[in-house]
Amino acid sequence: MTESSRRWSSQIVLYALLALILLWTLVPIVWMVLSSFKSPDDILSTTPKVIFEPTLQHYQGLFTGSNSLGGYVKNSLLAAGISTIISVALACLAGYGLARSHFRGKQHLSFWIISTRMAPIAAVIVPLYLIFRNLDLLDSVIGLIIAYLTFNLPFAIWLMNAFFADLPVSLEEAAMVDGATRFQAFWRVALPLVTPGIVTTAVLCLIFAWNDYAFARTFSGPESQTIPIAASQLITQTGIDWGKLTAIGTVVVLPMVIVGLAVRRWLVRGLTLGAVKGE
Amino acid sequence: MGKKGERKAMRPSNGLTRREFLRITGAGLAGASFLGISGCGEEGAGGGAAGGDVWKQFKGTTLQFISENTPPTAAIAANLKPFKELTGIDVKITQIELGALVEKVALDFGSGEGQYQIIYADPYQVLAPYYQGLAELNAFNEDDSLPSIPKGTGDFIPTQLDAAGKFESEEELYALAYDAPTMIWMYRKDLFEKYGSQMEQDLGFDPKPSDSSTWDQYYQIAEWFNDNANEVKYGTGHQAKQYDSLMCDFSNILWAYGGDYFENGVEVGRLGSEDPGPAQLDQPKALEAAEFYNKLLSIAHPGSTTWDWSGVDEAFRAGELAMTPNWHEFAAGIETSDLGGKVGYTRLPTGPARAADMYGGTGIGINSGAPEDEQRAAWLFLVWATSPQTQRMGLFSEEGGGTPTRQSVYDMPEVQKAKTRPSDAPNMLTADAVFKAWESQNIGLRPKIQQWNECDTIIFTELSKMLAADKSPEQAMQDAKESFDRATGAA
Amino acid sequence: MSVARTDKDRGLNRLLRMPSFGVRMMLPALLLLAALSIFPFLFIVWMSFNEVSPIGGLSFEWAGLENWVNLFADPAVRSSWVLSAIYFVATVGLEMFLGIAVALLIHELVWGKNLALSLFLMPIFIAPVMVGLLGRFLVDPTYGLYAWVLNATGIFTKNILGSGESALVAVILMDVWEWTPLVTIIVLAGLSSMPGEVIEAARVDGASYWQRLRYIVMPLISGVAIVALLVRSMDAIRFFDIILVTTNGGPADATKIIPIRLYETAFRFFDLGYAAAIGLGMLAFSIVIANLFLRILKAQGLAR
Repeated sequence: MTESSRRWSSQIVLYALLALILLWTLVPIVWMVLSSFKSPDDILSTTPKVIFEPTLQHYQGLFTGSNSLGGYVKNSLLAAGISTIISVALACLAGYGLARSHFRGKQHLSFWIISTRMAPIAAVIVPLYLIFRNLDLLDSVIGLIIAYLTFNLPFAIWLMNAFFADLPVSLEEAAMVDGATRFQAFWRVALPLVTPGIVTTAVLCLIFAWNDYAFARTFSGPESQTIPIAASQLITQTGIDWGKLTAIGTVVVLPMVIVGLAVRRWLVRGLTLGAVKGE
Repeated sequence: MGKKGERKAMRPSNGLTRREFLRITGAGLAGASFLGISGCGEEGAGGGAAGGDVWKQFKGTTLQFISENTPPTAAIAANLKPFKELTGIDVKITQIELGALVEKVALDFGSGEGQYQIIYADPYQVLAPYYQGLAELNAFNEDDSLPSIPKGTGDFIPTQLDAAGKFESEEELYALAYDAPTMIWMYRKDLFEKYGSQMEQDLGFDPKPSDSSTWDQYYQIAEWFNDNANEVKYGTGHQAKQYDSLMCDFSNILWAYGGDYFENGVEVGRLGSEDPGPAQLDQPKALEAAEFYNKLLSIAHPGSTTWDWSGVDEAFRAGELAMTPNWHEFAAGIETSDLGGKVGYTRLPTGPARAADMYGGTGIGINSGAPEDEQRAAWLFLVWATSPQTQRMGLFSEEGGGTPTRQSVYDMPEVQKAKTRPSDAPNMLTADAVFKAWESQNIGLRPKIQQWNECDTIIFTELSKMLAADKSPEQAMQDAKESFDRATGAA
Repeated sequence: MSVARTDKDRGLNRLLRMPSFGVRMMLPALLLLAALSIFPFLFIVWMSFNEVSPIGGLSFEWAGLENWVNLFADPAVRSSWVLSAIYFVATVGLEMFLGIAVALLIHELVWGKNLALSLFLMPIFIAPVMVGLLGRFLVDPTYGLYAWVLNATGIFTKNILGSGESALVAVILMDVWEWTPLVTIIVLAGLSSMPGEVIEAARVDGASYWQRLRYIVMPLISGVAIVALLVRSMDAIRFFDIILVTTNGGPADATKIIPIRLYETAFRFFDLGYAAAIGLGMLAFSIVIANLFLRILKAQGLAR
């Protein structure tokens, strides 16, 4: 067997495996998308229907009426987006500060930071509820943003610290010798170099906030409901509205594929930079 | 006594009685007649003097109503316009599943937030533990500056008003009966017609579901379907998921066999109790019920242990089952599905002691943590939402609506007509069954106690273990009793 | 120019200027984090020594160590811990194994790498609560696609969520479906940064793929793998959305992992003091696990 034919055959094996993996990932998603176009009777058919008369009724139901999905999407984007921006911005400063400082107990500090992300959700809800009530933040997007900061801020600091720690100090020192202040060295030299890291951190924060259900379930109200809440509201006393549920799933997933494609390159580069040392 | 004084103080300052008030302000009458108060039409319409109208006094207020995702709330949410026109009040409705609702309401009460003025007060998960957080409603009803309940509280079906609205005391009223799902026996009429005589021959009794059918017969019929009918996979299916539904499904049988959760269970169910005493689940009758339930589930559709009420409904509609005990409000969905016209509805079978049909109704109440004016505005919504006209609207609405909680609605000719096919309100096809079920000797009321959430979880978890053959019925009931006693402090 | 600077200068510079600068940079984030976490933490600790009830306004009644004694004495909670351990090892283990395997696979692809990864990533954008509902939809005995396929092929004819073992497997697989891609992207990042020459040299030397994997690739990506492990571990202990909407802990408590037990204690029974104790127990467990992983990371010289 020649080298090239061996490569060929191994590639064939690879693609066969890939097909299996994608089957595992995509069957539920394809079924979800298909179901979102089925009539309720076709959805509940006891033998799965692949050929059916498509209907847009679930999408129409989602976007018309008093409880249009639009409001939920807006709240989700605002809460996840703003909490991500705040987390990443503060984490850039703090991560850099931590990476460039040397003091006793630094390890304890960084462990404390990440340990705040481990707080059990159902237990922290009660004290947070009391805080929010006193600050009048219940049923507000701002409340949700703050709730999401509780888990995204420590995560972002932890990751950004890793990214900055990987950056050789010499570049910033060179800039300082050229007359830059400490902050300018951070702002003009270090920060641009970790752009992939920032994108990575932001995407991961966005995912965690975007997917939250437990906090939103308690803290959101009519004015601040997010997409996962919309999904849970389809669990009614008379059954789950699978048509609308699968329609929401489709509405959420398809744009994300595009976003995923767009940021993938950054994401992988970012993680590369931060996670592995010593290039 | 002090209450009386307060009520007086709440009168409008000009000292008019409510009747005079209504006579002067035509709009009050318009509102009243909208709500189905008859007999005052003569004084007729006429421009309502702004500011004098009891219905318009909270114009511009915004109220929050938190409700479980139920058919009546869906119908109301879709038809809020008349209320806005009548009162000028905006009502925002949050519809969520019951677990999330209880969490939100409890935190709201615990913190005194008053975020939601109008609360869907499940008698067991909200009313019993948190009745102190709900405003007493008679005070509003007797307040002359506020509209009172059209046709009075006596128009509500008495067992429902007691179960959904009161706690421990006959006098105090915390919620108005709002919906009334009740468990009944749903069966495939077409199959019973087809196989009736054959079954009668094989089984030796008339299988036609009726008030005299017994649970034992139900079992035999289900088994017969398992063996003999190809149209359905199984004779019976149940809502036996490790969840509230399992407790509901089992309780019907518990009561039918003469068992109960607590001593004096009927009163603990009707008015509730802060101290129900030791649990009775280890008593022979309860054990007998558990053994029967275990036996019944062993021949039921194996999907039963994953189904809640909607799961079993979907299976029934999909033609998997010949019979199921389920909430009567599912009739609306069944009648518009492929099974429309093929299903019969009757009360649940009877046991050695009685026939019992689990009542799952709920009332709506007012958050006493909300500011006084908002509470009074919320009262307008309560009166409107439970009024005969609104209930009638819900019954016939496209959203499916609920079932009325008032006698007068059932007396309406169009509602009477809907009791037979073809029906504009298919839920009324079950009316004869549920009406009987709501009589005080038939209604099945689970304990209205403050620790019910915990006890509910205990009983459905133990039953789930029994059905999974992790535990014998005897062991499960014994463990349930001990856990109940620990939860209620009776140990 | 920096060449001219001496080590001594640099050291002096750090000593004089860096700490205060560093502190100033960290201050906003740390203050916010402290505000968000210290009060809730102390509050939870306080709750855990009290009997807390929301009935008739939030009330506290000193209970001493009662909740803590219960935490260790309650057999139901103990069985939840055991179950949680199984769930934790199974989900995180499968996700790590599959995540790394898929990353290695995608890394080797010559064509369609981007598309394959984007498709594979899709599940992480679907909220767990929706993943749970979708899973329930797929395994429903009446109309579920997977239930139908398993039944038709005779692989599994019973009711999937109806018996303890299969229900546990099902909720584990739902979690694996959603979160494996997260491990994959993190590991893939590590793979992309590997120095190509080393691998090529090994190939030229005649090392087989498995040999290269064992001796070169694995050591190079072990750092990122542990980062992924840490991220997933934190959430595997915290999250409960999927189980909440599928089995809610049943049947027969077969899926009642500790966060579900906590949730139930807190928001069904409103035994908030006991819930606080359970929550703190979970936190302690997370910290031990995280410490363990960080120690491994450090032992490999990869810690920061």
